[in-house]
Amino acid sequence: MDPEKVIICRCENVTLKDLLDAIDKGYTDLESLKRYLRIGMGPCQGKYCLILAASILRRRLGKNYDELLLPKNRPPLKPIEAYYFLKPPKEAKDLEV
Amino acid sequence: MVMKTRIAIIGAGIIGVMIARFLVEKGVNDIVLIEKNYPGSGGSFRCATGIRASFTSPEHVEMMKRSIELWPILSEKHGFTYRRDGYIWLLSEEEHVEMFKKIVEFHHRYAVPTKIITPEEIKEMVPTINTENLLAGVYDPLAGKADCFRALLNTLEYVKNKGAKVLTRTKAEKIIIKDSRAQAVETNKGVIEAEKIIVAAGYGSKKILKNSGVDIPLENLPKHALITEAYKPLFKPLLIDWSTASYIIQVLHGGFLIGANMKEKPDTIPVNRIEYLYLAVKIWSKYFKWLPYTRILRYWTGYYVMTPDHHPVIGPHSRIENLYIATGFSGHGFMMAPSVGEIMSQYILGEKLSVPIAKNLKLERFEKGKYVKEIAIFG
Repeated sequence: MDPEKVIICRCENVTLKDLLDAIDKGYTDLESLKRYLRIGMGPCQGKYCLILAASILRRRLGKNYDELLLPKNRPPLKPIEAYYFLKPPKEAKDLEV
Repeated sequence: MVMKTRIAIIGAGIIGVMIARFLVEKGVNDIVLIEKNYPGSGGSFRCATGIRASFTSPEHVEMMKRSIELWPILSEKHGFTYRRDGYIWLLSEEEHVEMFKKIVEFHHRYAVPTKIITPEEIKEMVPTINTENLLAGVYDPLAGKADCFRALLNTLEYVKNKGAKVLTRTKAEKIIIKDSRAQAVETNKGVIEAEKIIVAAGYGSKKILKNSGVDIPLENLPKHALITEAYKPLFKPLLIDWSTASYIIQVLHGGFLIGANMKEKPDTIPVNRIEYLYLAVKIWSKYFKWLPYTRILRYWTGYYVMTPDHHPVIGPHSRIENLYIATGFSGHGFMMAPSVGEIMSQYILGEKLSVPIAKNLKLERFEKGKYVKEIAIFG
């Protein structure tokens, strides 16, 4: 399949070709690929793209998973409307407003 | 492993990368960047991306003004986005308006074109904002923002193409000093001998220097930030709510990034706290009635690497030859990075400083008690 037509990251519209080019340029860990291509920075929080990118990276470079630097998961697990945070909970003692 | 290089730079954050950039630009290519994690992994990739010269000490103003001259040049050469979108401080109390009048006067003395604006003028630049509680704003048209990821990565690519090497996942432990001369960097992967050694490792600089017998007064202050999903461009300036010292910026990619102050102890590890989301949403929902309907995408923490006078340490060490330091940016490292890179390259190559007042920012000022003075601390 044409790597230009294979989408690796649907949130940020990144193709397989983008990924392969980036790897060839020297972006050989997921933390750097995340900032360079924005994979994992969209609404899916990397649930799809980072796993795909990890296996491609591993195959391409023969690295093991530890060396791929899987980015930290940041909260929330999925995007959440800000209105859920309009009323502070009772236990929020250290608000500084 | 024993490596030899002319220049060893500890830290491949935006500061280390910019120092390397200005050195290779002058034909110095024999450089090794030593990075304990991956490039940008400290504060550089967690920052709010804002850039301004509207500070309250001559040192800060002059360094940032030079940076603002350099940002568009770097942006064009290395192909990343930088825009002069401005900053607006939102003032809701009379005493703050009075204070800012003095600050604006100070700025004008240093040719920083800030001005007091009316709530109506704020509304023109920031559609949909609720100005009900606002008395005035302070507008800085010279301020702006840049893409923090591409600013670092594209510049680093350029530096590597010119011959500089980057050692990632390599932790500098100490600097080997003999007869008051820095000679090599000891890392977890071996020794790197260098003619000149630059420490630009953020808060990590403290431990590396301590292991080498040099004290530097740095504190790591935890900070919190969130970003929403990307939306179409709504407003350009970064906004600061002065009464809570909180800011909101629509970053170039489209997300709204919010920073707000949480009570934190220096030198503690930041943890995510759900209260932060309540705080950020509360402050900015008062200004934007659509904000509750945006989706929060990500929440992360980072640090301000603080010095006692909230100004960075930049320059050579006064007693140890061939040792240079650039750290302690106190929350303003990204915006200042271009002029820091230039100044450090000038120190290293023995050239005249393009910002003469930068000489006040050396580490020795803390020993001599010559702290940098500000007319007011803000932002």
